[in-house]
Amino acid sequence: MRKYLYIYKSEIMSNLQYVSNILFGFIGYFILLFVFFNLWKYLYSDPNELIHGYSMEQTIWYVIVTEILWGTVGGRKLCQKISNDVKGGNIAYNMNKPYDYVGYSLFNHLGIATIKGIIYIILGFLLGILFLRMVPSHTIITILLVLLSSIMATIISCFLIITIGLFSFLIEDSNPLYWVYSKLILILGTLFPIEFFPKIVQPILTYSPIYAVAYGPAKLFVNFSWDVCLQVFITQMIYITIGYILCKFIYNRGVKKLNVNGG
Amino acid sequence: MLTAVRNQIRISLLTTKYALVREMLNKATFFMNIVFMILNDASFIIQWVILYSIQDGIGGYNLKQVLLLWGLAAGTFGFSRFFFYRAFNLSEIINNGKLDSYLVQPKNVLLSVITSDVSTSALGDIFYAYIMAFIYKCSITNILLFTFFIITGGLILVSISVILSSLSFWFQKADMIAETGVSLMTSFATYPDGIFKGAVKILFYTLLPVGFVNYIPVGILSEFRLEYLILVFVVALFFIVLAFVVFYRGLHRYSSSNLMISKI
Repeated sequence: MRKYLYIYKSEIMSNLQYVSNILFGFIGYFILLFVFFNLWKYLYSDPNELIHGYSMEQTIWYVIVTEILWGTVGGRKLCQKISNDVKGGNIAYNMNKPYDYVGYSLFNHLGIATIKGIIYIILGFLLGILFLRMVPSHTIITILLVLLSSIMATIISCFLIITIGLFSFLIEDSNPLYWVYSKLILILGTLFPIEFFPKIVQPILTYSPIYAVAYGPAKLFVNFSWDVCLQVFITQMIYITIGYILCKFIYNRGVKKLNVNGG
Repeated sequence: MLTAVRNQIRISLLTTKYALVREMLNKATFFMNIVFMILNDASFIIQWVILYSIQDGIGGYNLKQVLLLWGLAAGTFGFSRFFFYRAFNLSEIINNGKLDSYLVQPKNVLLSVITSDVSTSALGDIFYAYIMAFIYKCSITNILLFTFFIITGGLILVSISVILSSLSFWFQKADMIAETGVSLMTSFATYPDGIFKGAVKILFYTLLPVGFVNYIPVGILSEFRLEYLILVFVVALFFIVLAFVVFYRGLHRYSSSNLMISKI
C-alpha cells in the first residue's frame, strides 16, 4: 500500500504546478451551473413549489454536487490514458514494475482528482451560495459522511473508467464506449435526481452504478437521512468490489493476448 | 481569382478525402466511432423528455423544436470538426512552431492547416442532425435550409476557434481561451434561449454568436423570414473574413521551432 500512497503523493506534487490550468477548466463548470440555474428557475415558476419532492434549491444543489463529483473524476483523460497505454504498448513497461497496473492507474489518477476535488468543492460552494443564498443544513458528522461517500464515489468512477479503458485490449479504441458511459452518467445521474424518472425506471437506476457514483452522495447532501446513508454506503462497498474485480478480470485476460512490436 | 478559389476548395476537399481514407483503414473502429457518437447525442433526448414531463413549453420551445435545436447544434459541431478539425487545435500547432510545413505549400496557409485532419466521430454528429430534421418532419426546402445553417453555423464555429487560437501568436495561454470560447458556444447552443434573461441574451448576438448559429436558424425553420436568412449569411461571412484577417496578422509574428516532422 505504501508504494501506491507514494504514487498518489507524487502525482499531487506534480499536478500542483498546473493549478492555473484546472482553474481555467472551472469556467466550463461555471457555465454549466449557470445554464442549469436558469433552466430550473424557469421550470420552478413558483419558488416554493416542490417537483417530485424536491424544492428548487435542493434540485440546484443536487446538480452542483453531482457536477463537483463528475468534474473531480475527469474521466475522459483517464480513459484516454489507459486506452493509449494499451494501444501504444506502453502497458508492457508497466507489467514488469513492482506494482499492479490497476492500482497504479487508480492512485495516479486520484492524485489529480484530489486537487481538482478541493478546488471544485470550494468554487462549487461559492457558486451555490451566490446563486441560491442558502446551504442545506448539516452537522459535522453528516458533512464528513457526505465527504466520505463522495470519495468512495470517485474511486468507483475511476474503477469503471479504467475498465472501459482496458476494453482497448478487445476493441482498438475504447473511447466511444466512454462517450456513452459519460452521457448515461450525466443524464441519468447528474442532471436530476432518480425521483424525476418514471416509476418503472427508478428501481433499475437505484441498482445501477449511477446510484453509487452520483445520486447517493448528492442525495445525502441535499436531504440527509440515516436510512439513505446506510443504503448508499452498502451500495458503494459492493460497487468498489465489483469495479476492482472487473478491472482485474479484463486486465488479466488482456495481457495474456498482448502483442507489442518493439521499437 | 475565381480559379484560385476553386483550386483551393478542390485541394481542401482532396485533403479531407485522403484524411477520411486514412481513418477508414480500420473499418470496425471507424463505424463504431460514428454509431456511438449518434448514441451519445441521442442520449440527451431522455433529458428533454424528462424536462417536458414537468412542463409543456420550455423557453418558448416545444419538444420537437428542442430536438431540432439539438440537431442543428450537433450538425454545426460535426461539420466544423469533420471538415476543419485542426481549427480546434490550431493553438497547439502555433505554440509548438509546427506551421513550417504548411508555409512552404503554394496554397492558402490557414485552409491547408485546418483541413489537414478529420474527426471520424463528427460524421456521427452530422448523421444525428439529419435524423433530428427527419423527426421534425422538415420539408425538402427546410432540409436545404437546415443544410445551409449547418454550413454557416459550422463556419462561424471554425472562425471563432481560428480567431481565438490565433491569439497564440501574441499570448502563451491562448489555447485555453480558444478551448473555453468554443465550449461556451456548445454549452449554450443546446438550451432554449428563452430560459435566459438580461445581459446573457446580448452575449448570444455579440461575443458568443450562438444566436446566429442556432437560435435564429431554428426560428427560420419554424417560420421563414428572408431578412433573418440574409443576416445569418452576412454574420457568417463577417466571422470568416475576421478569422482570415486575425490569423494572417498573427502569422507575421510566427517563429519556427525548427521542429523536424514528417507529413504524410
